Amino acid sequence: MLRPEEMTRSVVVGSIDSLSVTIECLYELGVLHLIDFTAQDQDFRIGQPLPQASDASQKLLKLRSMIRSLDIEKHKPADKMPVKDIKRRLEQALVTLDQNVSSKSEARQKIQTLIREKEADIRALEPIASFGIPVENYEGFDNITSFVGVCKRDPTAAIASKIPESETLIAAGKSDAIVAVFVRNEDRAEAVRILSEHEFQEIKLPKLKGDPSALLDRLRAEIKGLEADLARTVKDIEAIRKKFADFIVSSEEDLSIEVLKAETPLRIATTANSFVIDGWIPTARVQEIQTALDTLCCGLAFVETIPPEKDDEPPVELKNPRPVKPFEFFMNLVSTPKYDEIDPTLILFITFPLFFGFMVGDLGFGVGLALLGALIRWKFKAYPDAVKLGSIIVAGGVIASVFGLIVFAEAFGIPFHPPEESPDEYSWASVVDIPIHPMLEKMYDIKEMLAISFVAGWIHLSLGFAFGFINHVHHSKKHAIAKVAWFVLLLGLFEEMMFFVGDATATSGFVNSTVFAIFPDAAFSFSGIGVSISAVVLMVVGVALLPLTEGPLVLTEVIGVFTNLISYARLAALAIGKGGMAFAFNTMLLPTVFESGNILISALALVGLVVSQLFFVFFLGSLSAGIQAIRLNYVEFFIKFFEGGGTDFSPLKYERKYSVAKE
Amino acid sequence: MDIGTGLALVGAGIAVGVAGLGTGLAQGQVGAAAVGATAEDPKMFGKGLILMVLPETIVIFGFVVAILLWIS
Repeated sequence: MLRPEEMTRSVVVGSIDSLSVTIECLYELGVLHLIDFTAQDQDFRIGQPLPQASDASQKLLKLRSMIRSLDIEKHKPADKMPVKDIKRRLEQALVTLDQNVSSKSEARQKIQTLIREKEADIRALEPIASFGIPVENYEGFDNITSFVGVCKRDPTAAIASKIPESETLIAAGKSDAIVAVFVRNEDRAEAVRILSEHEFQEIKLPKLKGDPSALLDRLRAEIKGLEADLARTVKDIEAIRKKFADFIVSSEEDLSIEVLKAETPLRIATTANSFVIDGWIPTARVQEIQTALDTLCCGLAFVETIPPEKDDEPPVELKNPRPVKPFEFFMNLVSTPKYDEIDPTLILFITFPLFFGFMVGDLGFGVGLALLGALIRWKFKAYPDAVKLGSIIVAGGVIASVFGLIVFAEAFGIPFHPPEESPDEYSWASVVDIPIHPMLEKMYDIKEMLAISFVAGWIHLSLGFAFGFINHVHHSKKHAIAKVAWFVLLLGLFEEMMFFVGDATATSGFVNSTVFAIFPDAAFSFSGIGVSISAVVLMVVGVALLPLTEGPLVLTEVIGVFTNLISYARLAALAIGKGGMAFAFNTMLLPTVFESGNILISALALVGLVVSQLFFVFFLGSLSAGIQAIRLNYVEFFIKFFEGGGTDFSPLKYERKYSVAKE
Repeated sequence: MDIGTGLALVGAGIAVGVAGLGTGLAQGQVGAAAVGATAEDPKMFGKGLILMVLPETIVIFGFVVAILLWIS
């Protein structure tokens, strides 16, 4: 919590003979985050891939090409195949499969190409079939040039008048005219001109001989034969796919893992007789590696922990209890915290549902959201991020229901009892008497809502400064003191706000009598506004400390603290806005539903009410509440302390989805 | 309701309305750029979201001013 998993810089050292066993062992344990070795010198060289690498890569290449030919990239085998079976069958299977798959897929491609060519011939021959001239007679004359193609308009008359010694054949096409024009070579230019005026487009005739109609019949018959061949080949491929898809996909996975392991030496340092694997291991698991290496390598390899260097950046594995884990989703959206930074996931776990719950604050919508979250978790359980998001929505929904039930006493935007200020308002009281009265009326206790928002903001921001202090205190005292200065400034500002409103709300009264009770009451009036002297002192101290620690330019940001605090007014604003929206729809449509006297109109109004509540209040309202709740964390809170840019902990390991190493 | 109260309420409406317009103008531009950045690199989503929602504070100011006008 708040800190990532502790890492220890370690080197695994051993005799070169035990390299492959060591690598195997490290991948099995999955705890070593490898630091790539790059700085070669006379003593240390980058390692050579394990002997099986090239053979495995070649096989992998074949399998992958098969996967493409058989179109099984997305195939998911139902059962995991034991690696023993894969190894036993692979050699033989690869030979037969490779021949079969490549010859079949080549045949398929060849037939498809042939069919395409013949279809193109048919398309070229069909228009000129009615002319009845053998195909070879359109070309190959010494003194005559021929044009075959389609024209948008009939060019016969134009050609006949301009080129008397010519022959034009014409037939009606779909929306144009098919023409074959024969002219003397010397009239060629003129013919081109006339034809282009008629938007002539040439048809490229195939190099065939004979009567077009007879040729067409022959081509069609040939295509039929080819299509039968194609169907046979596709069926064969389908049979191979059915029989071997599981095997191919499982073997591909197994070989990928083998290649991954075999190429690992390319990332580590070796000498003629030894190897050195440098990396980070979670401190709690160093012993585990040592024990495993002792057993597997018989003392030929061992782990040694070394003190980290000053500018080392250990990889970060967030360490949070199970209920907090889903909120790491929000951290992934921004950036991984640095190793020596505080991991704020726990605070997100607390503040996000509270902020969200306060803004939604409705029993009906809260329960709806919790159900929606559960549905997302259940429907998309294959996607880790969706499961996390689902859990977050469940948490937000539950807290929103609690707020709706206890604090605001309303469900689906309708209060349990009509508020005192508006006794005629529709409420659940006319259906069922719920013995809970609201602690806060969203629409009427606006000052109270605002006061609560500001208190939440003050606590949240102060926590941000405290985290900033902790993050900086070890390497930059100056920056740490600056966080204290900001903290004091914020406290002064908040005191002045609370002093200004006095006991106008229960919240401000409570805060003034507890948090600020120890501060002296001394105050003066400045142009009609009461100013607390202790608040001014705090603000002055804060502002005076700032330029000493972060330079004079930081003074331009002082107003930002005020902005940050005011920004939390959105908690109240959204709660009131949502309440107002639900109230508006209810006031417009509920009377029609109950009092129209016409069942059809009542039903229509009810549908309108459900749709508008669902869309505007439930979906849009929850969406904006979610965005605002996370924004308050990302912008107001994180900026106080969070830098991010840490390296994710990614240990040497693999995941078998379709194969199992042991039976 | 006297004229002064009416004017105050009109002022409250203007405060929220115009602040909302300002936020909208700013957010439109930031949002377009943020979506572009996210399309190129999905890791930019978080940063994009932060930049995208920054101008929202403007409308919150409008809201606070409106509330102050309304309840005074």
